[in-house]
Amino acid sequence: MKLGPEEKRIMDKMQPGILTVDGFLGNDNRNLHDIIQEDAEKVEALGYTAEDIGKRMQYLTERSKEAYEEPILIDQKYLVQQDIWRGKVVCPFPHKGLYVKADIHLKNIENGIEISWTPLNIHFIEEHGFFEGKGSKHRLDPETLIKAIY
Amino acid sequence: MEILYNIITATVISGSLSIILVVAEYFFANYGDCKITVNDKKELVVKGGGNLLNALAENKIFIPSACGGRGSCGFCKVKALDGAGPVLPTEKPYLSAKELNNNVRLSCQIKVRQDIKIEIPEELFNIKKFKAKVIEVIDYTYDIKGITFQLLDPDTVDFKAGQYMQLETPKYEKSKQVISRAYSISSIPDNKNALQFIIRRVPDGLCTTWVHDYLKMGDIVNLVGPFGDFYIRDTDTDIIYVAGGSGKAPIKSMVEHAAKYQNPRKMTYFFGARAMKDLYLTEEFQEYEKTMPDFTYVPVLSSPDPEDDWKGKTGFIPPYFKDYIRDPLKTEAYLCGSPGMIAAVEKELTKLGVPNDKIYFDSF
Repeated sequence: MKLGPEEKRIMDKMQPGILTVDGFLGNDNRNLHDIIQEDAEKVEALGYTAEDIGKRMQYLTERSKEAYEEPILIDQKYLVQQDIWRGKVVCPFPHKGLYVKADIHLKNIENGIEISWTPLNIHFIEEHGFFEGKGSKHRLDPETLIKAIY
Repeated sequence: MEILYNIITATVISGSLSIILVVAEYFFANYGDCKITVNDKKELVVKGGGNLLNALAENKIFIPSACGGRGSCGFCKVKALDGAGPVLPTEKPYLSAKELNNNVRLSCQIKVRQDIKIEIPEELFNIKKFKAKVIEVIDYTYDIKGITFQLLDPDTVDFKAGQYMQLETPKYEKSKQVISRAYSISSIPDNKNALQFIIRRVPDGLCTTWVHDYLKMGDIVNLVGPFGDFYIRDTDTDIIYVAGGSGKAPIKSMVEHAAKYQNPRKMTYFFGARAMKDLYLTEEFQEYEKTMPDFTYVPVLSSPDPEDDWKGKTGFIPPYFKDYIRDPLKTEAYLCGSPGMIAAVEKELTKLGVPNDKIYFDSF
């Protein structure tokens, strides 16, 4: 499908060196809507919605704040720890959006899956259904993510 | 043949339209000189057509901006009283209902097409753009550097300990544009011709990646400032400082300044870190305990490594406050760190009775 001007503007902002060093698309050459669509189908097939997943990530992130950057065991199942950095990053989609720079590291102690995300990842998933392009540093594979946080 | 004819016709038409547009832009989109009236006391004459943020900067009035005018940080707010045109969809998300009612706008989104009247805080008239050269780089920890810049033009600056500057980094291999980020000054105001900053690497950060991996001695950069209202109030209360990581920068400036002038106020500085490898300038601050009238440095490690053999305080900082605060009503607090850390510290200080309006902070 042809790239619309709005989608092109968003993808331009997602390139390396614009908002972050590595950008959000990795080595994925597909259009944004194709990237989002494929992940939406995966998420649906697994019986979830991107909104549900985002809310779950937000819950775990909020709970981890209780430990002020130290590890915390949440619900006897998730070992979560945050690293908070100086500054905020802008959402490349066309709306207001500044997100704290942080890395949230989670280990599901039942199945051993470890995964990391950023506050911007949560917003991308919950609001835009965007798990980032393949090869992107902060790409979250929906299946792995679901196994880790549920 | 007919297809070829159609292609040629379309090409001629589109080419003609392009020429007409260029000519029209030249003749009709020439806004000529426009007058910008600032605070009813300063009048600037600028060439119309550009954005207000840049037009002001060209006239040495620097409005804070962390994104360099791309409309993504929402910092460059001014009150536009006349001539700014309608609010654009690109700026609306950054403006509250109250700000919209008060004619607050993002200066980077306002095109100067006619005379404009604006209001800005008076202190912004003192902000300057400095050309500066890197003259010292210190590795404080594995991810924190101290960078000192010598000011070249202008060659001196006046600031208050605790204020910040914006560092403009050049385009480089990993950044397609000039970027601007705010960093607290860590040197003291007496050093008027050189400024030090303490900068921690932010993973994937455009500016800190340049600072940590590309910056070298002799590099020339632009600094804009000083900005901010995070500075020590001139009272005689006790002081509690709390910082972690690169949050040490403004506190270093405050304490060094206090040390130089032998400030008699009782001061306690809590510095939070994870392990020994995250501590820096420890000996320097312990030295102030000997040379200042009443200063205590309290490093607290949240999870020291076994090999650290740490004998100092551990865990979170807030539980230790009660051991150091004499009279909460006569205590001021200066905090620099992440929003979560500041919220936790503020909560504990308030619980102990430190007045909320005596808690000052610089949040990341």
